[in-house]
Amino acid sequence: MTISKKTFIGLGSVAMMASLTFGAGIAQAQDGQLRGNIRVVIGSTSTGGDTYQNSSIVVDKLAEHLDLNMKVDAVGASSAFRTLDRDSRGNTLMIFHDQSYLGHLYGVQGYSDIFEEYTVGPTVAINPGNAYLVPKNSPYETLDDIIAAAGNGETVRVAIQPGGVSEIGFSALKNAIAIEHPGMEDNLVAVNTGSQADKNQQLFDGQADVINGTVQANEQFTRLPEDDQKAMRFVWLTARQDTIEQAPEEGLGQTSREQLLEYVEPNVHVTMGDDETFTFDKEFFFLYNKDMDPGIVAQIDEALAEIYAEGEIQEVQKNAFFIPNFKPSGEASEYLYEKMSRYEEIIESIK
Amino acid sequence: MEFLSLLDITFFLLAGFGALIGIIFGAIPGMTATMAVAVCLPLTYALGLNHGLALLLGLYVGGISGGMVPAVLLNIPGTPSSITTTFDGYPMAQKGEGEKALRVCVIASLVGGLISAAVLFLFAPLLADFSIKFSYVEKFLIILLALTVIASLSSNMLIGIFSGVIGIWLSLIGDYSISDGGNGKTRLMFDFMEPFLFEGFSLLPVLIGIFGISTILLEAEKGVKSGLTNERVRIGKGVSANFSLSIFKGRLTNLVRSSFIGTFVGMLPGVGGSAASVLAYTQEKNLAKDSSQMGKGAPQGLIASESANNALTGGALIPLLSLGIPGDSTTAVLIGAFTLQGIQVGPLFIPENTETWYVMMTALVFANFVMFFLMFYAIKYIAKVVLVPKHILFPIIVMMCVVGAYAINYGIMFDVWTLLIFGILGYLIQKVGLEVAPLIIGFILGSQAEIYFVKSLESAGTLSIFFTKSPIAGVLWLLILASVMFSLMMSLKSRAKRRQELLG
Repeated sequence: MTISKKTFIGLGSVAMMASLTFGAGIAQAQDGQLRGNIRVVIGSTSTGGDTYQNSSIVVDKLAEHLDLNMKVDAVGASSAFRTLDRDSRGNTLMIFHDQSYLGHLYGVQGYSDIFEEYTVGPTVAINPGNAYLVPKNSPYETLDDIIAAAGNGETVRVAIQPGGVSEIGFSALKNAIAIEHPGMEDNLVAVNTGSQADKNQQLFDGQADVINGTVQANEQFTRLPEDDQKAMRFVWLTARQDTIEQAPEEGLGQTSREQLLEYVEPNVHVTMGDDETFTFDKEFFFLYNKDMDPGIVAQIDEALAEIYAEGEIQEVQKNAFFIPNFKPSGEASEYLYEKMSRYEEIIESIK
Repeated sequence: MEFLSLLDITFFLLAGFGALIGIIFGAIPGMTATMAVAVCLPLTYALGLNHGLALLLGLYVGGISGGMVPAVLLNIPGTPSSITTTFDGYPMAQKGEGEKALRVCVIASLVGGLISAAVLFLFAPLLADFSIKFSYVEKFLIILLALTVIASLSSNMLIGIFSGVIGIWLSLIGDYSISDGGNGKTRLMFDFMEPFLFEGFSLLPVLIGIFGISTILLEAEKGVKSGLTNERVRIGKGVSANFSLSIFKGRLTNLVRSSFIGTFVGMLPGVGGSAASVLAYTQEKNLAKDSSQMGKGAPQGLIASESANNALTGGALIPLLSLGIPGDSTTAVLIGAFTLQGIQVGPLFIPENTETWYVMMTALVFANFVMFFLMFYAIKYIAKVVLVPKHILFPIIVMMCVVGAYAINYGIMFDVWTLLIFGILGYLIQKVGLEVAPLIIGFILGSQAEIYFVKSLESAGTLSIFFTKSPIAGVLWLLILASVMFSLMMSLKSRAKRRQELLG
């Protein structure tokens, strides 16, 4: 939908621009503190997606705690980075997830090294829902079947959105096939598509054997009767076992946590070599302008630590099927850098 | 009927209020229904799901209908889907029939909205199953069918097609976005343009520029002599008061057909809203007994365009509520209301949330009626806009256009330059004799056509897939052929007629 991408939203921003100038003027200057109106841009254009939902939860709490006016704007990755580049005062913050460095690793235009160009802020939550699905009547019962099939020379087509979170599981799978069945990894073929709707459609059309999806968006499809063209089945959730274990017991929709645990490691094993299993948690974190006052970084860390200590935000996040995961910026930056390095290896090795 | 207990006075007030605000958003060039819904989305937190949905659906219906006002009175489509409304609406307004044109539009909108709501209510799950039969190939063919309107719309077919191709070319500037499954690389530009044109020209600034700003430039060239924007517009007891329902006599097929086309296009995810009205307009042009006046101020064009674009509302909700997939850009925002409330939308949404489903239907139908009454009785006053002296009205329009363009992508200054560039381009285009309507239709549909074309080839690897994919593809080809043949015949006929006149 071209229009949806471009025609996105904005009266709010006009009002905001006006009030920004206004607000900044009357706010008491105090060094190293957030002031005036704060705009939090996110790397997705969708207001129906997990990034918007998660950011709203965090920003709402933060605004209340700091008694500031904060607003989440779904501007999309490249606009968000550019907006953040322009503002070192701290009136623009960004929330995004692993896509921010994966985009760079995959060499997508518009992405740079976030560890070089920006300050990595605190992590706030994990969306444990990154999943791979097959049609309900697929011959592949498990992910092992898929690895074995590709190893036997069968072509397996996987619908993904290239260049990021949607591709990383595919890359890991390809890497696993290369390790277990050397030379056969090219039998796993990526079908590059866009939105979740497009990926689903590829499955309905029989143009893909496996699709990348999410628990949130695809759970209802897994409950359709087998003779329904739209019926699907989970074969793999990329999240760590620990992560899913923290989800509410009732799971999501009619799929319980216990059922979800069937599709994660160690039940599903995607090797990275050396007995290591590939996992991927989609984590949300703040990104700041490199030149932003370190005082603000500390202020947000502190505020979030207090919010998380109160314990209420965790409930809200869990209700929305997010796993709370607060790490202050220093720790988060180190942790994410290490995480990136692991995925970098996988992406390099299948190039 | 348990859901009745969920409906209270606040519910109806919010739906009505939403419709009103939506109409205002839709009527201001540069502000769209999508924007209205997005701005009010966070309110659903405070309002709760049912009240929130009432407000958002009101905004949606109002926003789509509001676009007709500037389209008719000022030749600026208030929303992209009212572009075909300008073709006949503005000529009517120039003839002093602005009020009449608006009344036709309002009635067509109401009928379109209600028909699509009925279809949504009765057949949603069934149609969702049908809509997934449309893969990349069929979607490409639908857009191709909509593009054939270029041939019948242009006064000189060769120039029209040439303009359309330029429009498509302009739409390809920018990156082939990875969010569409592309490679994310930019093309058709120099490196220094990348920061501005990474995502290509934004649709709305282009639209407002090429229609609004260029119209104003053309007017400015004439100079302000009369003082009034349109002295011939008569309010009250004048010509325009002669509106009666008899305009719709013999137009029922058109009304119903266009409503169904709108619902149908809305139901296909990824085929944008503007395709609905363009397609309905093409079909009316091809199928009507006498379509010679279309484009010169014929009510039938308005009926086709407005019933189709309002029918989009019900249509776009079909895949949203029965597949969890938004049918257009506004429903893509609307889905946020559900996510924020923790409600899953997917194939089991309707059976699992029956009450919410009834609540939505009530809000949708009610919002359509509110829209109707608000607009139908306010038209008298709205139409007076054209009585404002030009030297006051035009600067205000320019200002609104600039604000709208700046706001559309959250304050990107380049969008304002886009507005001006395309304003001047629109002016020049008309000076050198190219045609604006085909160009803009090419621009709107071009990028989607490209994506579906490339994706079809990627998944099949052969061109023959376009002919052999499915029976649906076959039917679409027949429609495309019929549409092209018809335009050719029309053009030959009018050429013969002209020749005869010359000889005679």
